[in-house]
Amino acid sequence: MRGLIELWGVFVSTIAGMIRGGRPKGEIVRQMHAIGNKSMLFIAVTLGFIGMVMIYQACMQFNRVTGDLSQVGVQFIRLVTSDFAPTLTGMMLATRVGAGIAAEIGSMKVTEQVDALRMSGVLPVDYLIVPRFIASVVMTVVLTTLGGAIMYVAGGLTAHYQFGVNLKIFFDLSLLNPAHLSLGLVKAVTYGAAIPVVSGFCGLRAKGSSEGVGWATTAAVIGSSLAVLLLDFILSVAGFFVLGEALR
Amino acid sequence: MSDAPPPAARPVIEFRGVAKAFGDKQVLRDLSLDVRKGEVLFIIGTSGVGKSVTIKHLIGLLGVDAGEIWFDGKRVDTLREPELAPIRKRIGMVFQNSTLFDSMTLAENVALPLRKHQGMRQKKALVEARRRLDQVYMSEFADRYPAELSDGMRKRAAIARTLTLQPEVVLFDEPTTGLDPVNARRIDRLIRELSGGQGVTSVVVSHDLTSIFSIADRIAFIYQGAVRALGSRDEIRASDDPVVQQFIQGQSSGPMETPGF
Repeated sequence: MRGLIELWGVFVSTIAGMIRGGRPKGEIVRQMHAIGNKSMLFIAVTLGFIGMVMIYQACMQFNRVTGDLSQVGVQFIRLVTSDFAPTLTGMMLATRVGAGIAAEIGSMKVTEQVDALRMSGVLPVDYLIVPRFIASVVMTVVLTTLGGAIMYVAGGLTAHYQFGVNLKIFFDLSLLNPAHLSLGLVKAVTYGAAIPVVSGFCGLRAKGSSEGVGWATTAAVIGSSLAVLLLDFILSVAGFFVLGEALR
Repeated sequence: MSDAPPPAARPVIEFRGVAKAFGDKQVLRDLSLDVRKGEVLFIIGTSGVGKSVTIKHLIGLLGVDAGEIWFDGKRVDTLREPELAPIRKRIGMVFQNSTLFDSMTLAENVALPLRKHQGMRQKKALVEARRRLDQVYMSEFADRYPAELSDGMRKRAAIARTLTLQPEVVLFDEPTTGLDPVNARRIDRLIRELSGGQGVTSVVVSHDLTSIFSIADRIAFIYQGAVRALGSRDEIRASDDPVVQQFIQGQSSGPMETPGF
């Protein structure tokens, strides 16, 4: 419970730090490159393959039950937009980016660099978490868009070449509406905010030596992944109540 | 160097019955210690006895479980993070690991406290940082990153960063650990010069017996969470406490209890 209160404290400090300013110059761009550009291939490959597998499985099941594959693409893009793209991107970033943030901040903590920051008149959250927070929110949205597009195209090509689905029918966007896009965007922003806060919090709690950094890294990956899953559930339920019919 | 009494006897720092535990481990039990203005006080003791923990309490990097800490007539152990900023301007700390920020050049490292504590603009702070680095013969490395330098160079740059705010008290956490003897003695000379020339109070945590018995005004020996012996170099050397003697003679066996051995 105390840990959750401290985590909330880090989140509030991060928001306050965004308002305070005083971030190191160029750090946000550097973090955007580290979080976004360096995750691009990872996200593209992972979501591309998951898209192919999901469509493969879906088409097989549809073939077994009804044999009508005309609705596969239409339903797939709705799911990709409102859930799969942000959540899978969030999960992937929780492992790659979460581990990196916790390891970097954890190493700084155990080598007393965080204490040295405090002695220099700097709030560690402002310097270490705020730039990663801003970069992560922006790049999670970008990567979700990219990953979702790749997932959709990979799924469409699988449906076409393996099951003979017409590309025009698969790539029909007529049933996609702003509600799906809004829910997907809210999820991407929320995961992008949660991952650096949870991971940074774990890094700042690192103690001792390399063992402490290892603990922080593991805790960050588990914590960030759980946060994504939990937030997915909460936002999906909230989305259902708020957006209702538009999501159906 | 002479074993003369310290320049002034007024305590600038007071630890009163300080206790601190980490989980089940009680590190400090009832530590009381005064530090006089302008002196070089060495805190010595075996590893894990709480020497670094003691000095970190003074600047609010750790909070006490019990007891009080006073700096220049003001109680500091009850201050919150924003209230500690003025104290941290007046008390600098040289950490054991140098703790230069890897992503910044030496000049940027030294400029950081000037920008944050004194509100100096980046350009002016960098000019000032180069001047400070020049004082420790490091100006030619101002644009290098910490990873490109030796341990001794990093330590000197870290000291320059600490001294950049011209603190009244400097806390040194094992300043000579990991340095070759030449660099170690240079650091000793720097600490002595700070005290003698500028009246800076230095509190040094160290195991380095050469340093301890060449530049200390007074020595505090910590054992089992409290100050076991306190005195000048000669008084500590002449101590009839077998635990103190075992430590300063570096004997592996004796009455001293060392957890883990």
